[in-house]
Amino acid sequence: MTALTRLGDRAGRATSPGQARPHGGPRARESRWALLFLAPTIVGLAVLSAGPILAAFGISLTKWDLMTPPQVVGLDNYARLLSDDRFLKALRNTAFYTVVSVPVGLTFALGLGVALNQQIRGIAWIRTAYFLPLVTSATAIALVWLWIYSPTGLLNNLLATFGISPQRWISDPTLAMPSIIAMSIWQGLPANVIIFLAGLQAIPVEYYDAASVDGAGRRSRFRHVTLPLLTPSIFFTGILALIGSFQVFDQVYVMANPGKPSEATITLVYFIYENGFRNFKMGYASAASWLMFLIVAVFTILYFRTQDRWVHYQ
Amino acid sequence: MTARVTAAPAVGRPSARSARKLARKIAVYVALIAGGLAMMIPFLWMLTTSLKTRAEVFSSSPLSFPTGLHWENYTKMWFALPQVTFGTFFQNSIVIASLATIGQLVTCSMAAYAFAMLEFRFKRVLFALILATLIIPFQVVLVPNFILYRYLPWPFSQSGNWIGTNLPLWVWAFFGGAFGTFLLRQFFLAIPRELADAARVDGANPWQIFLRIYVPLARPALATLAIFQFMWSWNDLLDPLIYLRDLPTYTTTVGLAFFQGQFVGKWPEMMAGALVSLLPMIILFVVAQKYFVRGIALSGLKG
Repeated sequence: MTALTRLGDRAGRATSPGQARPHGGPRARESRWALLFLAPTIVGLAVLSAGPILAAFGISLTKWDLMTPPQVVGLDNYARLLSDDRFLKALRNTAFYTVVSVPVGLTFALGLGVALNQQIRGIAWIRTAYFLPLVTSATAIALVWLWIYSPTGLLNNLLATFGISPQRWISDPTLAMPSIIAMSIWQGLPANVIIFLAGLQAIPVEYYDAASVDGAGRRSRFRHVTLPLLTPSIFFTGILALIGSFQVFDQVYVMANPGKPSEATITLVYFIYENGFRNFKMGYASAASWLMFLIVAVFTILYFRTQDRWVHYQ
Repeated sequence: MTARVTAAPAVGRPSARSARKLARKIAVYVALIAGGLAMMIPFLWMLTTSLKTRAEVFSSSPLSFPTGLHWENYTKMWFALPQVTFGTFFQNSIVIASLATIGQLVTCSMAAYAFAMLEFRFKRVLFALILATLIIPFQVVLVPNFILYRYLPWPFSQSGNWIGTNLPLWVWAFFGGAFGTFLLRQFFLAIPRELADAARVDGANPWQIFLRIYVPLARPALATLAIFQFMWSWNDLLDPLIYLRDLPTYTTTVGLAFFQGQFVGKWPEMMAGALVSLLPMIILFVVAQKYFVRGIALSGLKG
């Protein structure tokens, strides 16, 4: 729970004063043991995660189709990206997805978390129904929703009973992204609800008792006890939702019939996939992924900066 | 909840109050169950569609129940593709998810032990670095990793390298991971240090302490990690899509996506396929829900 939230204030003091110690003796022996335990992790970090991030930047400065040797082109790829209409559409769609799905998804999850935080008989079974989307693959879920959204599907049939004319939920460019967002919010609810439930259950009952004694009603208790004490959970789910929303791929791949989204639904990750692994433009795809990395990093840092202003740790 | 209700200032006669309490309780049940059913609609619809005939799907009301149980949709789906059955995809998914799970269990628990129990230089820096990889979108490393696997030789593949094999989908798991390391470290820290101290006095080295004391005690946390890694591997689409080239090597998700491209409009078969692909995870969830909930509540991570 606290790993990511604490990361912010850790970065500043990476080396502690107690770390400079003479070599040899039991401490050195322990270091050697640590190296043994950590060997796979260190190799993985260097070769599979931290190293490749730097490598991706290097590749982004080249033109490389994997068939001929890479040519260094400097910042050319970045300049071209910023005038590539499809990239800008991907950027805009991803931004739209983030701006809508994060606040709406979290609000729903918060409401649902409070609603499910009841000590009543059978609550475990009721929660299971709400949590089920958690374990399902976005691929299979996107198929089901494709059918729900299809011209003859469930949604249009339901709306017809209210006299609303059928819509082309996926093929209409203005409806496509909102439709995908609605589906993703549904699928993303359980994880956020579970985090909120854990946060709610950590609030001491005495706080509510004290508020009641002071004459606080249900709404006022939520406003002045629940909400402030839940801000760490809200902060935390916020960062996860923010990062997750930049990674949307599966839904778009499956729904955009099949695997070739129009400019209405293309996302950043799809753009990277398309250029890297369909067109084999390694440099171009790397440049796009580095821009995505920078955008996510900037938003994450800005988000962490707001922490002091609204997050209350107990 | 009940404590809070009784703590509220008493108003009205006791019988009126208990009647109001009962009414509220019923209202809560009705609302929660209705909401739960609403959340389940996509699943219920998937099930009813998968049992209808294609004519029925387009003619009758979508909310109607199937007139007969057309299980043949499932057999049709299972054998729909030439040269492979859906069972092949299942098998591939199980192999990849199992290997990835084993890799994560072994290497994350080792790293977690070092971070929880041992003192060494750069411990904080290294731990911060690992946590930082949690918030980095992994798509940034897609291209460099693809290139790495393209240069790693493999004598048994058509390409002569790792592309087109399932190696890139699970070998990484044997090189640690942020989620598992963090999850297990938290668990190890909660184990009383006296146990390790006693073993050390008896002459046990860190490896023996890890294997004989920490691993057995951490079984619940290991189960949580295993379940999550299995689910992530099972549900992953992007990586299998990039690395797998031939139909017989496809995982369930890639197979399903391919299926959709081939059988546009065959909704009953498609829903049958989607449901079958979800079934292992749904069963796992119903059986092991507490591990899922604990894993998310502890570290708040999802796929």
